[in-house]
Order: sequence, then C-alpha cells, then structure tokens
Amino acid sequence: MATTARTLPAERGRGGRTWYPVVALLLILLGVGIYAYLEELSEGMAVTGLRNLGPQGGATWGLYITFVIYFVGLSFAGISTAALIRLAKIDKLRPIVRMAELLTVICLMLAAMTIVADLGQPLRGIVNLFRYARPQSPFFGTFTLVISGYLFASLVYLYLDGRRDAAVRAAEGAPYRGFLRAWAAGYSDTEPERVRHRRASFWLSIAIVPLLVTAHSTLGFVFGLQVGRPGWYSALQAPAFVMLAGVSGLGMLIILAAIARRSLHLQARLGLPMFRTLGIFMFVSLLVYLYFVGVELLTNLYTGSVRERDVLRELLGGDYAWLYWSAIAGFVIAAALLVAWLAVQQLRTHIWPLVVAGVLVNLGAMAKRFLIVVPSQTEGQLLPYADGSYAPSWTEYAVIGGLLALGVLLFLGFAKVFPIIPLPEEGDDGKVVT
Amino acid sequence: MTRYGMSIDLDKCMGCRACMEACKVENSTPPGSFFMYVFRLEQGEYPSARVSFLPRPCMHCDNAPCVKVCPVGARYKREDGIVATDWDRCIGCRYCEVACPYGVNTFNWMDPAENTYLDYDDADVAAVTGGVVPPYRNPALEEPYGPEQRMIAGGGHSRGVMEKCTFCVHRVEDGLDPACVQTCPVRALTFGDLDDPTSAVSRAIQGRTGFRLLEEAGTEPRVHYVGGAAPGPEAREVDEPVTEV
Amino acid sequence: MNVRRFIVWAMVIIGFGLQAVAYLALAAPLGKPTDVSFSEPRVPFAPLLFILGVGIVFSAAIVYELLPDRPEDRTASEP
Repeated sequence: MATTARTLPAERGRGGRTWYPVVALLLILLGVGIYAYLEELSEGMAVTGLRNLGPQGGATWGLYITFVIYFVGLSFAGISTAALIRLAKIDKLRPIVRMAELLTVICLMLAAMTIVADLGQPLRGIVNLFRYARPQSPFFGTFTLVISGYLFASLVYLYLDGRRDAAVRAAEGAPYRGFLRAWAAGYSDTEPERVRHRRASFWLSIAIVPLLVTAHSTLGFVFGLQVGRPGWYSALQAPAFVMLAGVSGLGMLIILAAIARRSLHLQARLGLPMFRTLGIFMFVSLLVYLYFVGVELLTNLYTGSVRERDVLRELLGGDYAWLYWSAIAGFVIAAALLVAWLAVQQLRTHIWPLVVAGVLVNLGAMAKRFLIVVPSQTEGQLLPYADGSYAPSWTEYAVIGGLLALGVLLFLGFAKVFPIIPLPEEGDDGKVVT
Repeated sequence: MTRYGMSIDLDKCMGCRACMEACKVENSTPPGSFFMYVFRLEQGEYPSARVSFLPRPCMHCDNAPCVKVCPVGARYKREDGIVATDWDRCIGCRYCEVACPYGVNTFNWMDPAENTYLDYDDADVAAVTGGVVPPYRNPALEEPYGPEQRMIAGGGHSRGVMEKCTFCVHRVEDGLDPACVQTCPVRALTFGDLDDPTSAVSRAIQGRTGFRLLEEAGTEPRVHYVGGAAPGPEAREVDEPVTEV
Repeated sequence: MNVRRFIVWAMVIIGFGLQAVAYLALAAPLGKPTDVSFSEPRVPFAPLLFILGVGIVFSAAIVYELLPDRPEDRTASEP
C-alpha cells in the first residue's frame, strides 16, 4: 500500500467493520432482485400485482412506474446543486458536488432500468424506441431528454469535474492509476487549464438547467396530459413533479452528506454552514411543494368533477387514506423539524434534524409518487367500472429492492476508487482530509 | 375514403352479452380480456332501482389519446378510421391503456398459450378436444392487414403486448360486419361507412336523438348511441371485476 | 481563428441543428393523428439522430477542455 498523503477511507484493504456486512447485504438484495426479474422475464408480467384497469379491476402502472418517477426526481438534486455552485457561486456546497453529480448519474441509470423492467417486451422496447420514438408522445421527452440527454450531460459534467482529482490521485500513486490517468487525460492544473474548466463548467451548467426543467416537466406531462384519468389531468402536474423532485433530491443529498461526514470523519469539510445551505434550500422547496399540495386539495374539495372527487375520497378517507396521511404527516413533520432547526439555537449545532427530515421527505416522495400513479387507475374512472385494487407482488418489491441495492453498491464502489469529496484545492483552509 | 363507425341502439340492447361471446370466439382473446364489453348497470336503490346495459367496444376515436401517446407508433389510426394495434411493434409500455378514457385496452400479462379458459391436459377436456390445443383459433388473425400490411387482427398473440377491439378489421376488409354486429340477436349494433347515407349505420342514426360517450373529453369517438341515455354518475356495475389472469 | 473555438461552436450548432431537424422533420409528425403517417418516423432511427445531436452538444464541452493547446493558439486571446 503506497503511503500517500491522502488515502480514501474505504480503499482496497481498508474496509472497516461495517463495510463487508453492508456490501454483503446489498449483494444479497441485488441477487434477489435479479432472480425476481429473471422470473418476470420467463413467466411474463403476470408475476407482478399489475392487472388491466377497467373490466379487470386492476392497475396497469404500479410500483415500477412509481420508482421511475422517484429515481428521476432524485436525479434533480445532483445537477441543480452543481449548477447552483457554478451559476450562483454558492461555494459552500462545493464539497458535496461530486456526490451530487454521482447521485444524478446513478439515479438516471436506475430509472432507465426500472422502465425496462416495466416493459412487456424489453428488448424490443429498447430497439424500437431508438427506431420509432414519436415526439408527440410524452415518453419521447422521457426517453431522449431525460434518459439519454440528461444522463449524458451529467456524465460529461462528472467527468470534467473529476479530472483534476484524478490527476492528483494518479500523481500521488493511488491504486487504479491506469483508470485515473485515463480519466485525467493529461490534466496539468495550470492556470489556463483551470480557467478553461471553469468556463466549460459554467456553460455546461447553463445548458443543463433548461434540460433539467424540461426533463422533469415531460415526466409530469406523461400524467398531466391524460384527459381520460381524473386525478392526473391537471396543469399542476409538471410543476409539482419538479418541486417534489427538488425536495426529495435535496433530502437525499443531506442524507448522503451526513453519512459521508460521519463515516469519513469529515466534520471540518462537510461543516454546519454547508448543511445549513442545503437545509434552507430543502425547506423552501418543501414549502412550495406543500403549497402545491394545498392548492390541489382545496380546488378538488371545493368543487371537482364527480370522478375527481371519487379519487379524492379514496385518498382522504378510503383505501389509500393510510398512505396519503402518512405521506402528508411525513412532509409536515419534516417542515416542522426544519423550522425548529432554523429557530432553536441548541438544535442548530446538530445535523440529525436535517437527516431525519431528509429521510421523511424521501419516504413521503415515494408514497406520493405511488399515490399519483395508482388511485386514478383503480378509482374515479370516467365510465362506470367497479372500483379496482392493486397491491405490488413480491416480484415488484424484489426488483425495486435490487435496483436500490445496485444504486448504493455503485455509489460505494465509486467511493472506493475515487475521492467522493473533491480534494481540497491549493490555498484552501489548510485542513487536509485524512 | 370510408369512414367506419358503429351505432348501438340502447332501446334494443337487452344485456344478453352475445356480442361479448362472439367477439371472444372471433378474436381468440384470453380470459379476462374483453374487446367488446357490456356494462350491466343499476341506478338508484330498491324499490326504485333501474337496470340498464351499455355495450362498449373501442370507440376508434378521431382524436385518439392512445394514438397520441404510443411511443413507437404501434397504435395508429388508419385512413378508414380504424385505430389499430400492431402487436409486432408494441413494446408493452401500456401507456395507451392508461391514456384511454374508456378503458378498452388489455395487456397480455401471460403467454396466451398458457392463459386458457380450460385445462387442456384434463382427461375429460382432452376427450372432447381430441388433444388439439387450442381446439380453435381463427387463422385469419395471423395475417397482415391494410395498405400498411401490419399485424393488427385479433388478440391473444404474444405476451407483453397490448390489444383491443379492432372493429374486426380482418372481417371488415372482406366486406363482412364485425362479429358483435353480426351476432346481436336484436340487431342493436350496426356498422358501416358514416359518410355513406345509405349504409346501415347511417340509417340507424338518422333522425334519432343520440349521444357519444365522453364527448366532452374531446376524443371524437366513432361509436354513436341511440335511444336510452348515457349512464349517470350514480350508475354502478352489478358485476365484480375478475382480476385473475 | 482559434481552432478549438471553431470546433466547439461547430459542434454546438451542428448538435442543436441535428436535434431540431430530427425532431421537426425526421421523426413522426405532430398534430391530430388522422392516418398512419402520424405514427411513423419519416426517417427510420430519427430518434437516434436526435439523441446524437444532444450528445454532440454536450461533447463540445469535453472538446473544449481536452483539445490541447497549440503554439500558435497561445498568443491568440483565449475564447
């Protein structure tokens, strides 16, 4: 092992007590997920809990689509953080920029895989989308701009932003030198090079922001343009999708930053001011999102079409009430925690209120996504079909669990090979990362 | 160009569901999948409950939401107005199913060869079928149709793809009526060219007050209902849905 | 003219152009679907061309950063 000035905490041979059990558990989850998907491939999607809506009384979009939206939503945080740093010059957030970019890249890959898991003809789907995709379908935007465009742009951003650290690590004699040198591609850390990088990042950030808004709006349009589904058909869908994406993404970033802070002993670099900035952004986004929820609720309670009120009735007091009120409670408690954290002096020195809020908004986001997708299929149909029901089968839970495990594994794998927190630049506060 | 449409006389329909039966045999649809579906509805409470029946094929809308959302163009609108599903191109995303306000789409969750009404291995059944599995499947469903020569006829072809009422395109191209229209014992259903004032469907609609379902949704459906009225918001199905596949 | 600047601008313009052309002229047309032409791309694999256009635009950033300096460029003003 080279004695370098800085070693990554989880490098080869330095796993630590929790590393191996955690990785083992994740690999098991991944294995179970793969097994479940193979069963779905061989038996057909009848192994899921999905069924046709209408006469068959089921829901045809369920847990998979819920998590497609959730994963794309999480990807919002990554690039918007990077863009905020570059465009609004919020340098306090610089230490988490790589984690954020990585979150975006991994989540978009997971979203793509979840969509494929939901297709009845997956291989044909991949080919036919590249061959025949129609711009009129909202899926065109999801496929081309979100999965292909946004993912590629984020990879470019991650790549360019990591060149300097790759060069530094390679020079320090870190493991995987070949890979690091390839990444660095001759980066020389001269002033003109740094100027070029700043400019490229600046313009990339400017280019990615409209892509970001279009990407999440397109996903909202997948639902918001469907006149045939009361509960979906609303001009608010696209903006609400964007807002909840921001909330859940920032929440996940807070969780990741807190884990990194604790496990890598980075209290200095991932300090309270950085968490404060993240916390405030999450708080404001959460308030805006709750405003959207309130507006939609009030509108439908005051006067909605018969079918929209059918859906609302099931959400507020029927089959889905337990999930709906749990999600709302989660969001409200998170907001309260954030208010307390901002207002109460003693709390402000702790990170845990933010982390708890982050966990609550993510669970709430998963629930809310489910509540967008499913109730409008089982209830409130425009023709007088009997109400239906849907519950995910173990296959769906296993596949989603496997995908989540894959995401965490990719994150951990990256952290093992590459600095997950950007190395301090020369002339920084002098506190070196151990 | 022909503009195919259908008319349904609710004064004549008695809810016998022979049309559903004929459609199933003609199109080889798997269990739970009904291209033609007849609602059996009741409104009000005893002693003033009313029962009504509402046959619901695919509307073959002129502004079809399902065509607009199909990501790969497997669901398309023919020039004669029939909205067809190319099961060779369909990727099984089921977007058409959630986009349709009428709920006419079905997805093959299982291999149709394994999704049958009878257990063909059973000795009693095999004695009747002579071991042929399935005992009957309309051969016309495996041919391509239309000027585009696409695979659009019938159902139960392969798992992982969508299907729905085709106005029996494989019969219509031979000059026949759809199976449901031919079978209806009280001639409640008619089919033909809406632009031809002498066609059966035009004569059935002519001079009678009628409606189309969910017109306010802007879908421009091609199925006209005469006699009777659209189901009110209090109408509820008498049947329970069957979710077994 | 600075070679790097030229290539980057060219990539951005070509990339956006390819996206616009693929979306508006090569993929399936927009509008109320009245016949099968609304469900067919005018050129097969037009969506792939669209994605290629997106890729070219963002690859311009990589070119901008990675293209090595040439002696004659150093005296010219940086883009």
